[in-house]
Amino acid sequence: MASSSSSGLTFKLHPLVIVNISDHYTRVKSQMNPPPPTSATSNSNNSNGGENNQSPPRVYGCVIGVQRGRTVEIFNSFELLYDPSTHSLDRSFLEKKQELYKKVFPNFYVLGWYSTGNDAEESDMHIHKALMDVNESPVYVLLNPAINHAQKDLPVTIYESELHVIDGIPQLIFVRSSYTIETVEAERISVDHVAHLKPSGGSAATQLAAQLTGIHSAIKMLNSRIRVLHQYLVGMQKGDLPCENALLRQVSSLLRRLPATESEKFQDDFLTEYNDTLLVTYLATFTNCSSTMNDLVDKFNTAYDRHSRRGGRTAFI
Amino acid sequence: MDSAIAQKTWELENNILTVETPDPSSDSIFYYDETAQAKFQQEKPWANDPHYFKRVKISALALLKMVVHARSGGTIEVMGLMQGKTDGDAIIVMDAFALPVEGTETRVNAQADAYEYMVDYSQTNKQAGRLENVVGWYHSHPGYGCWLSGIDVSTQMLNQQFQEPFLAVVIDPTRTVSAGKVEIGAFRTYPEGHKPVDDPISEYQTIPLNKIEDFGVHCKQYYALDITYFKSSLDCHLLDLLWNKYWVNTLSSSPLLGNGDYVAGQISDLAEKLEQAENQLAHSRISPLGPSRKKEESQLAKITRDSAKITVEQVHGLMSQVIKDILFNSVRQSNRSPNEQSGPEPMVEA
Repeated sequence: MASSSSSGLTFKLHPLVIVNISDHYTRVKSQMNPPPPTSATSNSNNSNGGENNQSPPRVYGCVIGVQRGRTVEIFNSFELLYDPSTHSLDRSFLEKKQELYKKVFPNFYVLGWYSTGNDAEESDMHIHKALMDVNESPVYVLLNPAINHAQKDLPVTIYESELHVIDGIPQLIFVRSSYTIETVEAERISVDHVAHLKPSGGSAATQLAAQLTGIHSAIKMLNSRIRVLHQYLVGMQKGDLPCENALLRQVSSLLRRLPATESEKFQDDFLTEYNDTLLVTYLATFTNCSSTMNDLVDKFNTAYDRHSRRGGRTAFI
Repeated sequence: MDSAIAQKTWELENNILTVETPDPSSDSIFYYDETAQAKFQQEKPWANDPHYFKRVKISALALLKMVVHARSGGTIEVMGLMQGKTDGDAIIVMDAFALPVEGTETRVNAQADAYEYMVDYSQTNKQAGRLENVVGWYHSHPGYGCWLSGIDVSTQMLNQQFQEPFLAVVIDPTRTVSAGKVEIGAFRTYPEGHKPVDDPISEYQTIPLNKIEDFGVHCKQYYALDITYFKSSLDCHLLDLLWNKYWVNTLSSSPLLGNGDYVAGQISDLAEKLEQAENQLAHSRISPLGPSRKKEESQLAKITRDSAKITVEQVHGLMSQVIKDILFNSVRQSNRSPNEQSGPEPMVEA
């Protein structure tokens, strides 16, 4: 059912949406399977059995964001009520929630809906169609909540609906779209903070260590990705792998982009920035020095105090 | 194994509480126990001890939402409410939502404007399966630190009289972006006339001159709570995977460019403080009393600390710029000797 999309829309997903969906799912799941009371000691087997009784629930919600031209940026999401009898989402609830969110985020429109599960199902198309009168081409974000440690990719897929002719009947089917993760600086820092539970505060040394560790891991990633490309190219050169011209073109254009900037102006600006930072360091050291000098002078004055003679106190030597 | 030892030493020095990777059975924190919460509400153990709540646990989702909302306000203060529950002497914040209120530093109880919104939102949330109650409020102090202003203290005292248990959280999105770490503080006020028994030393932060009076007058009327964060097992897994896409952003972020204005503001603020300190020092030379001299000295020491902090942040930003430059700009042909491959030298002339 899912082939790749041809609509040409680019999707950008914010991490807040992913954490939102995950939280919604965890909440519903834990409310359905209450944890065993702390007094129970030998019931661990029972509780494990109890958790397996109910299959993981499907949660539903709405995603909101901005659509500018061909770019769809999904910023936020909220939960919706699902009516299992009619297989549809509660419409009045959606509208009420939408109003509330409009007050705080006036720029965001309803872009689509989300759900959890393994793969898009037939019943999802029903919900999708119902949402089409709010937004003519809604997106469907699917999160797979199964924790699979072997999986290296984010278990989030974005589907669009397209009209395809199957067996002579035009039908709406889901097609997969690619997306990128978009973030604002503040979002990145808080995600980083929670993901790695970095210490907040601490001496300058730990801050330096944290900063450098972050950059180091990013560079390591870059390095590993480049290695993969390198191995692939070596394989192609040896003849083990079929020559793929499109890929070669992309790699060549990537390499030709280095050096990234090499103009006079860039060097000037870069060195100005460098000098500015050095200047700030210089000033700070100056301030530090004068503060220490001030302390020294005061201590000197206290020690060699000539103005008050209390009980013949003279200089310490 | 050296790196493992180094990591353990580092963690020990910084009192890092390693939260064990949550497994699905320990997601129990997400479970809302209605009866236990109701019982706690009735017992009111906080009524006797103004210092009862000591810790705050914030969920990953709440933190993300609050920081994004605070940042989206730019230089305008924004506010919102937090939902959660209590657990002994800890307040747990599960979720947060924004309120359509602006200019929260101009009047007490700006929340009154948004009561209708609050009620609607809480109702719809309960229907959608979020059962927790409102347990606090948060607002932002863009660029001037995490503390409670006079208005905030009055608001929070009012809240603590009528809506207990209630928590106040302050976020500074500008400093978060500049420093590269989340600037957040959680506070509770003491009731009127209560003198704190011991004075815990809070982490020092620099306050701009135009706000420092407001800070000083009220800083004894509230205390800060320890903040820890938690996330579910699914969150953990997703965040790990997210890093696979994120490393590009880490490498490409350039804090120097983004925070030029803020840093310039900080430096000019420091300059003013220096002038003040200088005037005070000049006056004190006439009457060399021991204790008064100590006060000016500590002001100079504070300025030194502030300048060191700004410098450290600048140097961090510069480091990432230099690294990026070396990585992407200093490409040489393969037939040249590798000795010539060095980044731009720190020349002083342009």
